[in-house]
Amino acid sequence: MKYLSALFILLLLITSLSCGDRKRSVYRKTMPLMDTIVSISVVSGSKDEAERGMDKAFAAIDRFGTLINFFSEKSELSEINRNAGTRETRVSPETIDVIEMAVITAEKSGGAFDPSIGPVVKLWDFLKRKKPGGEEIRRVLPLIDFRNIVIDRQNSTVFLKNKGMLLDLGGIAKGYAADLAADTLIKSGIRDGLVSIAGDIRTFGVKPDNSPWTIGIKNPRQTGEKDEIIARIRLSGKAISTAGDYERFFIDDNRRYHHLLDPETGYPAGLCRSVSVIAGKAALTDAVSTAVFILGPEKGLKLAQDMGMDAIIIDSSGTIHSTPGIKDILSIEKGN
Amino acid sequence: MKKAIKNTTLADRALFLILLIISAAGFFYSGEALSLGSEVVVEVKGRPVYTLSLDVDMELEVEGSHGHGVVEIKKHKVRMKDAQCDNHICVRQGWISRGAIVCLPNDIVVIVEPGRKTDIDAITG
Repeated sequence: MKYLSALFILLLLITSLSCGDRKRSVYRKTMPLMDTIVSISVVSGSKDEAERGMDKAFAAIDRFGTLINFFSEKSELSEINRNAGTRETRVSPETIDVIEMAVITAEKSGGAFDPSIGPVVKLWDFLKRKKPGGEEIRRVLPLIDFRNIVIDRQNSTVFLKNKGMLLDLGGIAKGYAADLAADTLIKSGIRDGLVSIAGDIRTFGVKPDNSPWTIGIKNPRQTGEKDEIIARIRLSGKAISTAGDYERFFIDDNRRYHHLLDPETGYPAGLCRSVSVIAGKAALTDAVSTAVFILGPEKGLKLAQDMGMDAIIIDSSGTIHSTPGIKDILSIEKGN
Repeated sequence: MKKAIKNTTLADRALFLILLIISAAGFFYSGEALSLGSEVVVEVKGRPVYTLSLDVDMELEVEGSHGHGVVEIKKHKVRMKDAQCDNHICVRQGWISRGAIVCLPNDIVVIVEPGRKTDIDAITG
């Protein structure tokens, strides 16, 4: 009978193991913020702790989104733009921070990423298929120059030197917000999680089974459900952002017009279909993915590597290029 | 061991067999439960109001902040069929089987939560 008791205990153990780890689970919440979908996943042993952390993170994103909203007259960004050529604008530390990171990326990329691209962005409307005329574009191009953004950290001010200049932080703000949310979660005691704002993802820690987070990279020429993902990458403590010509675009006369505009020409860049960049901070991956997209595969890969980042580039012919640093964590899907 | 088995009654053996079946089934069942299809979560003002299966075709009217939206599930896809809003961006988005549809004016969000079969935690792009 002793043996049977032992067997009974063993069976109970097996049964309990088959039910999985109930202690630490992934909790997920999604909210519409910053005109897009924000999704947060956290690993926690308590639903309450997870909810509290996620609510704080969503509040941080919401607050930051209000500061840098290009379309809201009340935002600090709009005030900076209104005061262009006239006076400095006093702003919050986050606004200074994100603009400073944008200017640094602009410098490092030789202007391939330029947050002062606002005047040319305003001329295009991809939803209404509005393509500006060459003269219209030429007229605003002189306004685009990141060197005319003056940041005074000590006095917490930003000044745009020329009237008509417009800062557009669309190429960095979502990544910065993902970092802000991740930092907020970490401060509230969450050790493992993932923040996803549109295509900008910041991971920290691992999943309950100690495996890294798996991120799917969207196929820029998806034809159906089965080929939605072109590659997958396993990340822990890293961020990834993707810039693609399929997000906001229209086709006219067999040419694809998309939202990734070259600051030098004012027209969409044509050397890539999509660019994913991997680094520690999502603000940087967000901005650098745009820069690499504008520069194209050759110069783009060099920029990413010079900045200590990794990149996956799908060029205009569909060929996939990647930096050697990610070969062990990147899997290209079959058939691609 | 043989002696122990010899000493058991028919009831002991039956109990042992039942336990064995239950524990083995636990493995298979939990595997099956984890591979269920995707769910559609409909949220209004950030609060989930409906959780639906993407495998069951249906049409649902959802009351939002300023008007209603009609959510339709068909052939494992979901769309905002109609919405009382100005821009109709949500309606124009069409059918999705992953990701989300947002009707900002009405604070309605339709999210397809991935089935647990997939090992992807998020998508970039």
